[in-house]
Amino acid sequence: MICVEFQSAADGVAREEALFAAGKPALLLWRSVERGIVVPRSRGRRPGFVGLSMAAARAGWPLMLRSSGGGAVPQGPGTINLAIITPMPVGARVEEGYRLICGAISEALMRFEVATETGSVDAAFCDGAWNVTVGQRKLAGTAQRWRPMGNGQSVALIHAAIVAAHPPASIWPVLSQVEAQAGGITPPRREVHVALDELLPAAMAPHALQGALMRAAEDRLHHLPRRSLDGAAAA
Amino acid sequence: MATDIVIPSDLWEEDEECVITSWLVDDDGSVQEGALIAEIMTAKVQYEINAPATGTVKIIEEADAVVAKGAVIGTIE
Repeated sequence: MICVEFQSAADGVAREEALFAAGKPALLLWRSVERGIVVPRSRGRRPGFVGLSMAAARAGWPLMLRSSGGGAVPQGPGTINLAIITPMPVGARVEEGYRLICGAISEALMRFEVATETGSVDAAFCDGAWNVTVGQRKLAGTAQRWRPMGNGQSVALIHAAIVAAHPPASIWPVLSQVEAQAGGITPPRREVHVALDELLPAAMAPHALQGALMRAAEDRLHHLPRRSLDGAAAA
Repeated sequence: MATDIVIPSDLWEEDEECVITSWLVDDDGSVQEGALIAEIMTAKVQYEINAPATGTVKIIEEADAVVAKGAVIGTIE
């Protein structure tokens, strides 16, 4: 199976973090059986998080924490996660990580004649400048975590959450509460998102796309600039 | 002589500021060189700050402070 299935998103996040701790080049494509909302770990230290977390769980959307940046992201059978773990060359900037993962998603979708762009989408959940968009609607969000290795290099966990199918309607008021607690002004809205099942014929998705995603990501990992990657690249 | 704890100045392209999301050591706490002491976030990237020296941390910028590239956020004495 190309896409690993975890029981909960917390299990998937834990696997990503174990690969990140190892610091070797790795790819992971995964989704979770159970529904949930994943937020950055720093949100867990905010006042009121425990109460918010209990209310979200009662609504059927338990909150889980992750180590990368960004905002609240729905998880469950309708979300495909692509994680790329790679040592980054000396002097690399975070934009290189975003170009790598957005490029991989774009190339994979191009095989199915779906053209993508990158950019922010007002009122999207976990909005950012490096969303992958189709027709100005958000298909995938990206975020990263970087750790310096002490020799000028860093290890990066580069992550994308791709909407394969829209989450159930019950998530939107919960997402609004989660973002409001973090100071967000604009509530996330469903209509600014697009899902793979709207873009690809049912017979094609999801397995063919998953294979294309992994090939595109592998290709980019192998073609990262090799400067100062001695040793790490051989792993 | 104190060693500055500095936000990297070449980690991202734009002149965007970052937020100190957490200090993982107390003010006046002891650290070993290379230990994880703080986390910052910019452009949806969580970046770890390691101790540049062994000694006692003096925090200058608290958690949730918005700081520029190259800013000194603390020292180690």
